[in-house]
Amino acid sequence: MASDTFPVEVGLMFEGERIRRNDMQLELGGPKADAKWEIVRVRPAGDVVDGEIRVLGPDLDALAPGMSHPVGVLVEISGEKLEEDIEGVLERRIHEFLNYVEGFVHLNQRHEIWMRLSRRSFEKGLNSFRYLGQVLIRLFRDDLPIIEAMQVTWISDPDTVREMLDEAVSRYETRDARARGLLDEDVDTFYGCALCQSFAPTHVCVITPQRYANCGAISWFDGRAAAGIDPKGPIFGIAKGACLNEKTGEYEGINEIARKRSMGEVERVSLYSAFEFPHTSCGCFEGIAFYIPEVDGIAVVHRGFRGPAVNGIPFSTMADSTAGGRQVSGFHGISIEYMRSSRFLQADGGYGRVVWMPGEVLERVREYIPDGLADRIATEKDALSVGELKAFLEKTGHPVTGRWKPDSGREQDKDRKQEKTVLRLSELPIRAGGITLVLKNARITAERVIIERRPDDPRRRT
Amino acid sequence: MVLLDRNTVYLEVQEVETDAARIKDLRVTIGGIRGLAPAVPRGPMPMPGPGTLRRWDRKLLSRYRPFYMPFCELCCLCTFGKCDLSGGRKGACGITMNAQQSRIVLLACCIGAATHTAHAREILDHIVSRFGERHPLDTGGSQIDITAPITRLVCGFEPQTVGDLDRALRYAENQITQLLAATHTGQEGDYLDLESKVFHAGMVDHLGMEIADISQVSAYSFPRADADAPLVELGMASVDTKKPVILVVGHNVVPSVGILEYARENDLLGSIEVTGICCTSLDLTRYSEKAKIIGPISWQLRYIRSGIPSVVVVDEQCVRTDLPDECRAVRAPVIATSDKNALGLPDRTGDPADEIVEDLVSGRVTGVLLRDPDIVGEVAVKTANHVFEKRKGITAIPPGESVTASAGECTHCSFCQRACPAELPLVEVIREAGAGDTGALASLYDLCIGCGRCESACPRGLPLHSFIISASCERIRDEKFSIRSGRGAISDVEIREVGGPIVLGEIPGIVAFVGCSNFPRGGSELASMCREFARRRFIVCTSGCAAITAGQYRNDEGKTLYEEFSGKFEAGGVLNVGSCVSNAHISGAAIKIAAIFAKRELDGNYEEIADYVHNRVGAVGVAWGAMSQKAAAIASGFWRLGIPVIVGPHGSKYRRMLLGRADHPDDWKVNDARTGEEVCIGPVPEHLFVAAETAEEAMVLVAKLSMRPNDTTRGRSIKCTHYIDLHRRLYGTMPGDIHLFIRNPADVPLTFKDEIWAHLEAHGWKEQPVPDPTLLEPKGRRVKGGKPK
Repeated sequence: MASDTFPVEVGLMFEGERIRRNDMQLELGGPKADAKWEIVRVRPAGDVVDGEIRVLGPDLDALAPGMSHPVGVLVEISGEKLEEDIEGVLERRIHEFLNYVEGFVHLNQRHEIWMRLSRRSFEKGLNSFRYLGQVLIRLFRDDLPIIEAMQVTWISDPDTVREMLDEAVSRYETRDARARGLLDEDVDTFYGCALCQSFAPTHVCVITPQRYANCGAISWFDGRAAAGIDPKGPIFGIAKGACLNEKTGEYEGINEIARKRSMGEVERVSLYSAFEFPHTSCGCFEGIAFYIPEVDGIAVVHRGFRGPAVNGIPFSTMADSTAGGRQVSGFHGISIEYMRSSRFLQADGGYGRVVWMPGEVLERVREYIPDGLADRIATEKDALSVGELKAFLEKTGHPVTGRWKPDSGREQDKDRKQEKTVLRLSELPIRAGGITLVLKNARITAERVIIERRPDDPRRRT
Repeated sequence: MVLLDRNTVYLEVQEVETDAARIKDLRVTIGGIRGLAPAVPRGPMPMPGPGTLRRWDRKLLSRYRPFYMPFCELCCLCTFGKCDLSGGRKGACGITMNAQQSRIVLLACCIGAATHTAHAREILDHIVSRFGERHPLDTGGSQIDITAPITRLVCGFEPQTVGDLDRALRYAENQITQLLAATHTGQEGDYLDLESKVFHAGMVDHLGMEIADISQVSAYSFPRADADAPLVELGMASVDTKKPVILVVGHNVVPSVGILEYARENDLLGSIEVTGICCTSLDLTRYSEKAKIIGPISWQLRYIRSGIPSVVVVDEQCVRTDLPDECRAVRAPVIATSDKNALGLPDRTGDPADEIVEDLVSGRVTGVLLRDPDIVGEVAVKTANHVFEKRKGITAIPPGESVTASAGECTHCSFCQRACPAELPLVEVIREAGAGDTGALASLYDLCIGCGRCESACPRGLPLHSFIISASCERIRDEKFSIRSGRGAISDVEIREVGGPIVLGEIPGIVAFVGCSNFPRGGSELASMCREFARRRFIVCTSGCAAITAGQYRNDEGKTLYEEFSGKFEAGGVLNVGSCVSNAHISGAAIKIAAIFAKRELDGNYEEIADYVHNRVGAVGVAWGAMSQKAAAIASGFWRLGIPVIVGPHGSKYRRMLLGRADHPDDWKVNDARTGEEVCIGPVPEHLFVAAETAEEAMVLVAKLSMRPNDTTRGRSIKCTHYIDLHRRLYGTMPGDIHLFIRNPADVPLTFKDEIWAHLEAHGWKEQPVPDPTLLEPKGRRVKGGKPK
């Protein structure tokens, strides 16, 4: 955006800018200001004066330099297709757009915003909130044609900022309550995201109110906003159609879109299961839910976990079994946010089936785990091998132990094909053709076998 | 009997007896197996020969046609010649100008590939003999599943141990021999077939580099895919001259590791300084944070002449061939350590260490050849300790007053100026120095590439380079920086983490600054380009001398790039991957993207993976001061993967570019794997190999060449924003070809909307689909049950 009348440059290349305290003219919001907020509100058509910018309180050039000031940003928009549900999504664009301004940085959101104006840009003439209002209106209107009218109010009068804070906070809370309470059955449209198809051509993410995108970056509300703004874009509505299986979360509309978008690779999708027809993954899922046959439970490992998970395999290796737009029963790419959903792995028994996850993840999702279960789920502190895990689960009385048969100590998932054990030995070394295979505590079944290297084999991987 | 194929293990046991059981006639078939790699090379084209990938190469070469710029119009390789090939003339063997040019390119790339591969051979053999062939490969612990992406891609098997690499290395050695044979008189005469072999040499070069680096990373516990690899010291001023100083020069770290090991074992680490120039020093700091990097290749003369190094140890590659003469002048003993670079020195390999030390210290010999890396450490450390006191005060850099006096002897014949590859105004500055003002001499410090050609041209034998150094002593006293030691590979987990930001348009591309940084202002330009793209939130990789040079400049806060930006593979990260051979991790990362996100078969599947990388991975290489044959080979390895490379102005001396024609719409068609239809995608990436005249031109090109046909609209929009912004800032205008890069309205960068729409309308722009792009016949993923609606 170049303009003869605008004092500084505006563009995406300023997004990564940093302004040090010594170089700043002043700070708006931030930890030193007692009140600050920003909010987008959708209003009835007549209530918004398009293009209007109001400043309540002293302007930038009248605020004390070098100090932090309370601030409020009220963006009011109207448009036929706008709905309150996407206010939160549009609100985050304030952050993006203000960062386009040369010598101006914006951090955080809602009532935690923190902005800095550089002295250099101030001296160049960026001395009024009106300019920042102009940027917002111009970029919002250009990028989001569904906005038909928009007005911006900058509030710098400390009392007014404080007065309006409660109203903003109560709106955030209402919004959060709606987001938390919204169930998949409450809506008739889900969203598909094909962004990752540029790298994983057969993968499509299905985003529902209760199942976040695998990358953790796109909620149902984001999907709704994106599809409304750009109907031809990579995020599109999916009419969910008839529900084929409530428990596994299989929908006619999803199956149809999965078939079409995956070039026929994927025929059926279960939203809430890691088995049978799990939702596919590209490569950027935040975590993996994986099956541990020895305890008939599911464990979760996230991308940030270094070292091997409880089954002895690190994230990077398991991710290889999970990625690439394929359906691999027992390996399921997920977002952390999905773990906060009451539908999380519903078909497989939900948290009652989850036996292990890194402590860091457990703390992030603890409050969403049904009562009394969180402490029965092992972390890396409790178990780093299947043997330790089994002992832990028995000690804490994890519900999954109820699935173990007293004689064998384990039981196959009823939904899975019965596997026939053809061989069980404590150790079976076989030498042939210069290769030694050592089968340790392995069951050989007709379909699958776990082979471990000799512990003293230097080629043994972590 | 055990049979292994791609997915299945068949196990047949006739009779086995163990403590637990006795088995007869057991047959087991296993559907999937984890943790054990099949030993048989697999994939559609494992270990391809020089002609196997010809079809893929021709696809690239039909879009990026060679544009020849003969550096020499004669062929003088056989005794029929010299043959003048200009004006459409053929040589005595029938060769044309185009073929001769590509033949020389092939020769250069063979030299480069042979150098890395021979280097890999020395390292691998040493490591196998020292650590055993079953020493496991480890480039990133649990963070890496794909340890050797290039080996797997090219050779079709997954090496687990250093011993496993031998087979891949033997393949590389074999290929180079075959390629070299193709350059013989009366062999390959078609320029496109020669170019295809150039690509092959490049692919083999990356294989050789990977083998060298992953074996040394595994054996020596270098940082393993470590974003927080330690910051180490860089620059002449970082050296503690109160201690004996050892200088190592070259690329093969093995003998230098011996120096540090010996010092450590004898508790001498604190009492000597081990410093290095070029890639050996980079690798040495990966081995120990105590080692110090002096600078890139061009620092050899100034540092040796300063008299600071007590002993100079050289290994291989990019070592000045007159280094023994330079060392003799400052009475610093030289130890050569490589069969490939014996420098005429007496071979003392079998002699007792103390005898060798005595001879070096007494000056009976000025240098020795030690062909066993294990004794280098003892000889170098002991010699340094003994000569240290004797050498105090020795320097070949004249003091200021002597510069003025000597400069007065200049006859202004200007031979020096004519000899200077950078055409520096030597006559004028010497005249001023003679008159007592050495300021102009000092101003050449940043422009001089330290080659010394001026001195050998001077009829009076004036040490002109030393004059420049003498006049710049203030500047050199300030040469103390920090650089992040080479981190090695990019982890699989890091690659997964950037998938989201790339498709969401938060990371515009990956740019790798590789090779040397020679040529005037090359260093400062390189550092400013790195900083520019890191600030623009590109992922910036550096390696080799480029990595060193990038660390020699500070921002306004006094921080080098490595202090200012994170070392992680993320938006705005600046990653020093390591030495020249670590370049394999950059191409390896591009390859891993295909295996990680699209789950494309990696082993022996070069064509499909290269097609993926070319069409989807927005990576660009920049070799700003590239001068060597190795740099040519590195670049050609990127070309075969379809990754564009930009070189500085001297890069045109590589004799040919690979240029796309944006004005030929038919050149820019791909198959849409979704529909099977042919689609125009615009000129992305526009060139495969191009020389930029200025850093400004290079920066605009980086932004432009990071575009790919698969870009999401957000991704394309951010790439266009950077392209337009850089073009406007550096050229002062909107790019005239922006309409070629806008596929649909969502590609239009938000902040340039009005101008772009006006431009699109003026150029009769039409909306185009965003395909699932491939240059190959779409196969295997054809729509089941008919075309999608």
